[in-house]
Amino acid sequence: MVRVKSRYLLCEVNVSDRTRLLLLDDRAVAETVKATVARIHGDYGAAMCSIRFSVKYLNTHTGIVFLRFPKRCYKLLWSALPFITCIETRGQKIPCFLNCLHVGGTIRTCQKFLIRYNTQQLHRMLPKCKNEEEKQQVRKAILNCILPGGNKQDEDILESDDEEE
Amino acid sequence: MKSDNKKDEPAVFKRVVSKNASPYNYMKVSLVLEDESTRLTAIELKQFIITGLKSLYGEVGAALSFDLLKYDEDTLTAFLRVSSRGLVKLWSSLTLLGFYQNQACAFRVLQVSPFLLALTGNSRDLQLD
Repeated sequence: MVRVKSRYLLCEVNVSDRTRLLLLDDRAVAETVKATVARIHGDYGAAMCSIRFSVKYLNTHTGIVFLRFPKRCYKLLWSALPFITCIETRGQKIPCFLNCLHVGGTIRTCQKFLIRYNTQQLHRMLPKCKNEEEKQQVRKAILNCILPGGNKQDEDILESDDEEE
Repeated sequence: MKSDNKKDEPAVFKRVVSKNASPYNYMKVSLVLEDESTRLTAIELKQFIITGLKSLYGEVGAALSFDLLKYDEDTLTAFLRVSSRGLVKLWSSLTLLGFYQNQACAFRVLQVSPFLLALTGNSRDLQLD
């Protein structure tokens, strides 16, 4: 069996004002990436980007983006990502930058990484809680959202992460 | 003493292969313009090549370093020096340059060599008696 191989880049969108993150949509992110690749790598890069590039997943609450690139040229396209300084959506410019967390061959490995990464972040944040009450609140929020079905659980953990901040 | 020791050792067959070891490649190109009376200075020519690189390979391509070693304004023939890694990029962007100031043009790549000396003569236009 043969399949067409891709690379999935798991990136986080860093913004100064987190409320503006909710304005993002996947089309805006895709357009921005395409425009930046065209600027940095010209027609050649734009052509590479037009074949199998897509934004697979966007979580506006936590600012996590999955980008799919063809495996053949993902390094070239990846090199253009640091040049993204703002994303334009609905007539507004959101100043931000993309930070690549993980590169995976399948969505599954990326998801596994994301779950592990978020648990790690949570462990880092828990000691920073100011009092016991806050800690309990966070724990409760996590316990509330453990439901059968991996993906759902993941997203909810992500959201509880957010609340704490 | 050392050399004596070395003599005792059996000679080891060693094969050294180096591919594209030369750091630079040299190109002889000529520009063919629709209106033959148009004159270009060396600076304009280099600027023109850079715009071609920029449109095809973007800002990264425009940063490719290449040199215009010699330029003959009458025949529009130029010698370019480019690092071996950038040869394909430069060549392909030259190929795709089709217009200079709204007039059709083309680059003819006459000779390419990793040695500058090889561009002194062209075996294709030798006059054999």
